[in-house]
Amino acid sequence: MPHFLIQFAQQHEEFRLPELEALATIEDVQMTYDPNDYSLESPFLIVEIESAEKAALLLKRAILIKTITELWGKADSWDGLIAKVQEHPERWPQYLDVSFKFSVVTFGGTIEHKDKAPLINRFAFTGFMGKIDLKTPEEEFLLIADYGIDPDVTVAHTFYMGRLVGHGKRELIDKFNVKKRKYIGNTTMDAELSLIMANQALCGPGKLVYDPFVGTGSFLMTCAHFGAMTVGSDIDGRQIRGKGKASIQSNCEQYDLKGRVLDALVFDVCHSPWRKIKGGMFDAIVTDPPYGVRAGAKTLGRKDPAKQATEPRMAVDEGVLAHLLPDYVPPTKPYEMSEVVADLLMFAVKNLVRGGRLVYWLPTVTEDYTIDDLPTHPCMELVANCEQAFGQWSRRLITMEKVADWDGEMGLGAPTGDMNTSKTGPNQVGHFGFRDRYFAFSAVENAKRKKELKEAYQRGGPQAVAAYMKELEARKKEATTAV
Amino acid sequence: MRLITHNMLQCHVKGCNANNFPLELQEVVLEQEEAELNEDFLRNMLGKIEYEALVATCLKLDINDLPAAMPADAAYNDEFLQILHRVILETHIKSGKMVCPNCQHIYAIRDGIPNMLLAEHEV
Ligand SMILES: [Zn+2]
Repeated sequence: MPHFLIQFAQQHEEFRLPELEALATIEDVQMTYDPNDYSLESPFLIVEIESAEKAALLLKRAILIKTITELWGKADSWDGLIAKVQEHPERWPQYLDVSFKFSVVTFGGTIEHKDKAPLINRFAFTGFMGKIDLKTPEEEFLLIADYGIDPDVTVAHTFYMGRLVGHGKRELIDKFNVKKRKYIGNTTMDAELSLIMANQALCGPGKLVYDPFVGTGSFLMTCAHFGAMTVGSDIDGRQIRGKGKASIQSNCEQYDLKGRVLDALVFDVCHSPWRKIKGGMFDAIVTDPPYGVRAGAKTLGRKDPAKQATEPRMAVDEGVLAHLLPDYVPPTKPYEMSEVVADLLMFAVKNLVRGGRLVYWLPTVTEDYTIDDLPTHPCMELVANCEQAFGQWSRRLITMEKVADWDGEMGLGAPTGDMNTSKTGPNQVGHFGFRDRYFAFSAVENAKRKKELKEAYQRGGPQAVAAYMKELEARKKEATTAV
Repeated sequence: MRLITHNMLQCHVKGCNANNFPLELQEVVLEQEEAELNEDFLRNMLGKIEYEALVATCLKLDINDLPAAMPADAAYNDEFLQILHRVILETHIKSGKMVCPNCQHIYAIRDGIPNMLLAEHEV
C-alpha cells in the first residue's frame, strides 16, 4: 500500500491520533501505522492508505492535520533522499506536463531563502516539463526537513519528499474563533477544541447530537457545521436567550446554521423531559459540564431537603400559585462534579443509540478529585482520553462509545483499567513545563501559588488559570528587573 | 421550537409516568421558516418519531398535510419526506403552552424557547 506522510499541528498533541482515528472511522478509510513510530514530540507520522483519493478523505474536516503528502522518499540526508526518490522513476511520468511547484517545508529549523532554489533544482531529475505555477499549481511537491523540537539542534535529522495530497481544515478554527462570535459566555469552549470534539463524536449528516449543558451553544454550531442536526438544553435559560441581539439564535444566524440547530430548551438534565425510546434517541452527546465551585453546575432542588416544598406554594402578594407566574424560577442547589459525571454517563447509556458517542470534558489533578471516581458502564467503551494540561491542572476530553444495548437495569460500575492513561500516547506530565517555570520557589511560596491557582480555577476555570499564569509571569518579570 | 422537538418531549413531573405524551399545544403562534432538506436525518428519525402523536398534534394545529399512517416506503418516498420535512423541521412554535394530558402541568414557550423546568414540588 502507498505510504503517506501526515504532518500534524504541533499542539493539542494528545488529541491528534484520536482525531485521526475518528476521521478514518467517519470516512471509512482503512489505514495502518506503527504506533511506535508516533511521538507527541514530532508532527510527522507515516501511514499506509490504499490510495491518495482515500487519504484526501481524511482531510475533509481534519482540525489537527496540516497536510498529507504522498511519500516518495524518506532519508537522513538530502543526498540519501534523492537516491530514494530515484528508486521509483515510474511515479514521475504522470506529472510530466501538469503545472506544478516545489515547496520547501521545515519543522524546528529554517532553510534560508537563497538556499531553497538550488535545493529544488537538485530534484530536476524528475523531468517535470509543465508550467511552474506558484499560485495555483495542479500539483505541489514538498521537500521537508525535520529538525525536531530541540531548539539547540541546528541540523535536520530527517528528510522527506512527496506529492502534496492536500491540507486539513485548520481555517475552520478561524471561522469559529470565539473572538469573532457575536454571543459567547465566560466558559465558551475555544473553536479548535469544539471542532475536534465534533470529530470525536463522529458528527455528520443525518445525525442527531445533544448537548445537555449547552451554555452559549458552541457545540451546537461546530457539530452542525459538519452536517449533524443539533439540540441543546440548559438549566439556565438566560444563557440560551442571551442579551438583546446576542443569543444562541444569533450565533446560528452568524454561521448560517439555522436549519441544523434544531432547538435549545430550558431544563435540568437530571429531570429530563426527553421521551425515552428503545434503541436511544441521540447519535451523540457532546458537552462541557460546568464544573467548579462558584460557577459550577446546578440542579433543581434545595440544599436542605427539609425545606423542599412538596406541595405548590402561594406567591407572596399575588394570590396565585408561585410556580404558575411567568417569572418563576425554581430553586437550585449545587450539583457535585462526581454526580454530574455519573449522571451524564447514565444518561448516555439510556439515550444514545448503539454506536453513538459521548464526548465530554473532565477536569483532573485537582486536590478534590481522583480519576478513580470516574464512572464506567458495561455498555460504554472508552475510545480516547486526551489531556489538555494547564500545569498543576488539566482537563481531559473523554470519548466513549455505546457498544451494547442497555438492559434497562444495569447501573454504573467501578472503573476498569487505568482511565488516567491516554490510550493513544504516553501521558506527558507537566507538558507545558508549568511546574519548572512557575514553581521553582520555596515550599511556602509553592503552597501559596498552588492555593491561588486553585482559587483561580474555581473562580473561572481554565481561562482564569491562564490569566493567573500571565499575571504571575508579569510579577516575576518585575521582580527580576527590580534585582 | 420545531414540531420535531415537541414530538421528542414528554411530561416529566415526579410521578407523572402515564398518559404524559404528547403534550397538548395550546394558544400557539406558529411560523414557517424554510430549511434545507436533509433526507438522511429524516430517515434517521423515522423510527424515533411517534408518528400517530405527530399527526394528532398537527390536526389540532390545522396542519392536514401528513397522511394518517406513515407510508411503508417512507424512507424513500420523496413526496412524503418533503411533507414531513416541512411539518417537523420548518414549522416553529414561537409562543404558546404545552399542557400535560395527565397532570395538567403547563410548559410555556416564549420566543421559541420552551421552558421545561419543573417547579419545586414537582421534582
Ligand atoms: Zn404530567
